[in-house]
Amino acid sequence: MSEPNAPLRPPLVTGDKTLSDVTQDICEPLECRPNALWWVAFLTSLSFLLLGVVAVWYQVATGIGTWGLNKTVGWGFDITNFVFWVGIGHAGTLISAVLFLFRQKWRTAVNRSAEAMTLIAVMCAGIFPLIHMGRPWLAFWMMPYPNTRGPLWVNFKSPLLWDVFAISTYLMISAVFWYVGLVPDLATVRDRTEPGWRKRIYSILCLGWDGSARTWHRYETVYLLLAGLATPLVFSVHTIVSMDFATSVIPGWHTTIFPPYFVAGAIFSGLAMVLTLMLVARKVMTLENYITKVHVDKMCKLILAMGCIVGLAYSTEFFTALYSGNAYEQFVFMNRALGPFNWAYWTMVSCNVIAPQFFWFRSVRSCLPVVFVLTLFINVGMWFERFVIIVTSLHRDFLPSSWASYVPSWIELATFAGSFGLFFTLFLIFCRVLPVIAIAEIKGAAHLKKVPSKQASVQEKVV
Amino acid sequence: MNKETLQQNHTESTQVSRRQFLEAAGFSVSLAVLSGCGRAPIQTALPFAEQPVGVIPGVMRSYASTCIGCSAGCGMLVGVRDGRPLKMEGMPEHPISGGGLCAIGQALPLGLYDNHRLKQPLKDGEPADWESVDKAITEQLASNGSAVRLVTSTVTSPTLQATIDQFLNQFTDARHIIFDSVSSSAILDAHEKTHGTRLLPHYDLNHAEVIVSFGADFLGTWISPIEFAKAWSSRRVPTEENPTMSYHVQLEGRVSLTGCNADRRYRLSPDEYGIVLSHLAVEISKLAGKTPPEGNLAASPISAEELSDLSHRLWHAHGASLVISDSQDFEVQLLVNHINHTLGNYTHTIDIERPSYQCQGNDAEVVKLIEELKSGSVSALLVAGTDFTHNLPDHDSLTSAISNVPLVISFAQREDDFASLAHFVCPDHHALESCGDAEPISGRVSLLQPTLAPLGNTRSVLESLSLWSGNQSSAYEILQASWKENILPRVQSEVKSKSFVHSWDIAVQQGFVELETEANSVGEFQPTAVKLVTKQPVEDEFVLTLYSKTGLTDSSHAHNPWLQELPDPVTKITWDNYVCISPTAAKELGVSDGDVIRVETKDGPSEIELPALIQRGQHDRVISIALGYGVRGTDRFANIGPQWLEGRPTVAAGELVGKNAASMIDINGGLFQYSRAGISLHAVKENRPLAATQEYHSLELPKHIAPPGAEIRDAVQTTTLAEYKANPEAGAPHMHHFSDKQLWAEDHTTSGPLWGMSIDLNKCTGCSACLIACQSENNVPVVGKDEVYRQREMHWLRIDRYFMGEDDDMEVLHQPMMCQHCGNAPCETVCPALATVHSEEGLNEQVYNRCVGTRYCANNCPYKVRRFNWFTYPQDDLQTLALNPDVTVRTRGVMEKCSMCVQRIEDGKIAASHSGIPLADGDIQIACQQSCPTQAIVFGDMNDQSSEVLKALHKPRNFKVLDEFNFRPSVGYLRVVKNRDDNHHEGGTHE
Repeated sequence: MSEPNAPLRPPLVTGDKTLSDVTQDICEPLECRPNALWWVAFLTSLSFLLLGVVAVWYQVATGIGTWGLNKTVGWGFDITNFVFWVGIGHAGTLISAVLFLFRQKWRTAVNRSAEAMTLIAVMCAGIFPLIHMGRPWLAFWMMPYPNTRGPLWVNFKSPLLWDVFAISTYLMISAVFWYVGLVPDLATVRDRTEPGWRKRIYSILCLGWDGSARTWHRYETVYLLLAGLATPLVFSVHTIVSMDFATSVIPGWHTTIFPPYFVAGAIFSGLAMVLTLMLVARKVMTLENYITKVHVDKMCKLILAMGCIVGLAYSTEFFTALYSGNAYEQFVFMNRALGPFNWAYWTMVSCNVIAPQFFWFRSVRSCLPVVFVLTLFINVGMWFERFVIIVTSLHRDFLPSSWASYVPSWIELATFAGSFGLFFTLFLIFCRVLPVIAIAEIKGAAHLKKVPSKQASVQEKVV
Repeated sequence: MNKETLQQNHTESTQVSRRQFLEAAGFSVSLAVLSGCGRAPIQTALPFAEQPVGVIPGVMRSYASTCIGCSAGCGMLVGVRDGRPLKMEGMPEHPISGGGLCAIGQALPLGLYDNHRLKQPLKDGEPADWESVDKAITEQLASNGSAVRLVTSTVTSPTLQATIDQFLNQFTDARHIIFDSVSSSAILDAHEKTHGTRLLPHYDLNHAEVIVSFGADFLGTWISPIEFAKAWSSRRVPTEENPTMSYHVQLEGRVSLTGCNADRRYRLSPDEYGIVLSHLAVEISKLAGKTPPEGNLAASPISAEELSDLSHRLWHAHGASLVISDSQDFEVQLLVNHINHTLGNYTHTIDIERPSYQCQGNDAEVVKLIEELKSGSVSALLVAGTDFTHNLPDHDSLTSAISNVPLVISFAQREDDFASLAHFVCPDHHALESCGDAEPISGRVSLLQPTLAPLGNTRSVLESLSLWSGNQSSAYEILQASWKENILPRVQSEVKSKSFVHSWDIAVQQGFVELETEANSVGEFQPTAVKLVTKQPVEDEFVLTLYSKTGLTDSSHAHNPWLQELPDPVTKITWDNYVCISPTAAKELGVSDGDVIRVETKDGPSEIELPALIQRGQHDRVISIALGYGVRGTDRFANIGPQWLEGRPTVAAGELVGKNAASMIDINGGLFQYSRAGISLHAVKENRPLAATQEYHSLELPKHIAPPGAEIRDAVQTTTLAEYKANPEAGAPHMHHFSDKQLWAEDHTTSGPLWGMSIDLNKCTGCSACLIACQSENNVPVVGKDEVYRQREMHWLRIDRYFMGEDDDMEVLHQPMMCQHCGNAPCETVCPALATVHSEEGLNEQVYNRCVGTRYCANNCPYKVRRFNWFTYPQDDLQTLALNPDVTVRTRGVMEKCSMCVQRIEDGKIAASHSGIPLADGDIQIACQQSCPTQAIVFGDMNDQSSEVLKALHKPRNFKVLDEFNFRPSVGYLRVVKNRDDNHHEGGTHE
């Protein structure tokens, strides 16, 4: 049955892998000492993380004044980075849950790392709303809990509160979904590990997985249900993040297009980040046979689609401003394109709208270095999108007397670098302690495609 | 000690015998007993065993007094609480100020609680006690007292003047020289020539229908700005019944606050005043049918039609018009007098029978003194009330001349430039510690009462001088004696019929008395004294104008951080002086804002290097620099703001706040010239950023990004008198009004008061008194230059200033902007912690201790009036005494903003409930409203149908900022009406 499909659908795993090859290849990084490249990457990331820790410590000890913000621009790098990281955190759940529901088998190569990336990115994101507060030690006041102050509740009308719920829900569901998907693989790792503390940890983490049909059945049911539960979150989280802006009165923020616009942007940036990491990982961790050009090609197509949606959103904003007859709105968009921050705007447009257009060409999609560079552009462009939305809307709002500019301070830059440090430190640790590809799932996908080689292995066994 | 012995000691000491234990126990007990018997620290905070009458802890009491921040002599009420003067307010009944108080007056408490003030007298720079200082001085005066020179700033106090006369009478050759740091000597000299008496007339702007000012910044700093602003504003209120206004023309080279408020502003270099005045004098003489002054007319920089229009307007309003000038050019002042005389303004708008004593500076006398000093003929030099050497040019030769004087005495409150040269510094009390009096205008005498015991071991000048004349009385006794003898017997009202004690009490309580004065005998006007001015300006030279900054005036307030951080009302710059230069000249010179310019005089060696400020509306040939900067000791402000990694000092190492421009004063014809031609400019390759609170200066959007048809924002609406007459609502933009249609039902109706405010932009001059009133009332911190540069000043109330139009016909709009207390407040919905909420009385309240500092409210505020505590702002211990105990001092990380002085509202409500009399309109006065010299701000209950605020909000001129967004602000503004016939030159604000 599968034979006629073979030429049409290129195999998802190349290199004539057997089932045990797959297990071996994916588990290997967990079982050997890290190579020099990993150490270099890890120490670099850790240095950035430490830089960030020092910056955050200084800022919390001294005051938000250590940032470049002012009376007019009350949010800058903080919320830009927050939305950026939340956006990055979108692809994981999209790839795992949505593509799972759509039965896209190719997702198996990337879903695990994408989910890990999601979790880490949401953690990075979560830091910023926390530290951007003037008094972060009172952050628990964001939580509606019974208290002796009246009780004094939170303001359920505030989008920031919705954010608290949206982000924490998303983090929780994503973590559970990721963990549930990990369970069979953790069992595999457990089985391969020599007795000792490592084995004990994996034994605990795999929740006594026994590989029986009943376990598999329950596992798959739970996974499907969680996928169904996670899917709406992909849309809700960024919808709510967008409402931080959309429900305000500031021209450039106050716009109904924001929820779909932000969701598309988030998926776009998340996919780009996944692809960036995948391209590095397949090289560094020699996973070329698992993360193939087919995967890259499919990701590129998705990014292209999202890039077009984002481009449409940008132009729609301009049209809305023009058509609204609202002079304040019109001015904000004129100011974005031609005002003092026009360099940021045009960086955003070139990176997010023009760069992905190259993915129309198969030759570009199959040339991995080019793809890598383009994904980097998109990552940069999506960061600038948030910067443009936040800073250019705020810096010249209603009354010209209050117009001001914004330049980030070194503390902000260090905090931003620190968030990347945190991201890569955690990701590198993840690569060392957990299987970066869903072994159980890819076996299912690879099995279908590997009929000829299966024959060969049977012969091998006979011999 | 080696290891072994250490161990040995250790083992020894751990083995305590019973004897050793008892020894130790006995010793510790006796030590404890002994220490307990020692002198306890002096208890300074004692409860009142006998409470002073009327003093209730925690209750503010007001004492009538007189502001001596400048010599204008405004009345003020000193709010004293628990023995501490905290809040200065205007005295509504006062015959000069009439209720207003300027920024300087408001800022007095911070000058009082200043640990840089001298705490004791100095002898040769070393702390000394009064006894030895007095002894040494009296001895030296007796031996060296041949040529005693006492220099003071204008003395308006009759008691002090009498004491000075008494002191100087002891000596054979003694003179009292009056030196004003910014002198109006030419006006006095001109009157001496034309009217026979050297006097400063009292200008009555209340009755001036046409005001033509040649450079006189009468709303900002000139002579008596609070009085003038109030009088000026009284004729700036067109109503439907009486749509008339005064017509105010300002001709000036720099952009002054007064020029900003004029109906018509001409750019005219100070060296052209004479020519234009000559033309006016000729035209008006023709209209009056009198002979014009002799001389020829030079070509006028202002067109003949405009001159003729102006002279016709002046003539039409003869007897009710006024021509004034701040020029120190004697010829110019003669022409001004001639025109005013021809117009018949003397005795109507210009009173010389009861003249002003507010500026008595006599430049010729000062020049003579400088010559005497240089020749070494002065044996004793005493200086009070002014920093003599700081405010004069040619500093080095002057100081070396002074170093040869055998006895130099300064009465300065801090070690200023002159005090550093003095042999003895006998520090005067601060104004709030002093008792005294003032007669700023003939016949209007007010009292100055001390409101706390002197903080340091200082002594008033009155006492020092009287002691050195052999009279040991206290200042209070001297004052009382003087009033008993000279003042109270001349009082107009029935007060004089009462006993002295009674009438004295009444005078102290009300703060001022009005005297029956003989009309000053003035000679006949001497028309022959006046000649036309023909001297043509040199085209390719710059003219330098030195001016005083509104809210700082001269060096005497340079140590007040509130005033240093008060944005200049025109340039909006803080913490610096700079060279104002026109855009055209800047372009030619190739400089932009902050680029340092070297200003050099052609004929002298004077030069000064200061950053440039490109000022729209500045005359192309005129540059201007503020005086009163570069004051000794202001390097103390280096670390005034928050200190952090990227923070820069307010004052660079080895520098001062700004630079002293007094070196550029020209002494010409026995007069200090604050304008001088023959200036050349050189760009220095250096940039020194200026800290401004406003970065974009117009309501006109940048041309390349302005949406077509909406090039001008209508935050400030304007119209002309001609349009107003045709339609009182003229100037309102076409927009949709939502106020009657709301999406949601009014579910928060208020039965009690609903507080609201109205600000008449036609009365508001932008003087910024309200800003300091707010700062003082609400404990707003000072943040330093770097933080202002980073756009993080904390002022709750700011004055937006917009330049409209270009160069020759520039219009300037001022708009006080503070929390608008919106009915649909965008800040309230977005706060996740409910830290900003709406009160039942329509106030938008900020709950500091609930705020976590997300800054979302500030982002979402369309008026950008919220201020965030970026840091903990440092304050020294003494300064904290100026804090208002009714208002929380905010911590770092918390948002704050105008509360509409909620503490005053609550105070008013409590007082009403105590007395049982319901609150009446006007019972509660908020800080900005109270101090406003023109009473442009009205506050009250919008639910009270008869309240002033409701009446104001229903005026046809009322508009709300960003009304079309339905934020429903509680603050209304009354549209600006300029007295012009032409239709408005801005197309954008109305269609």
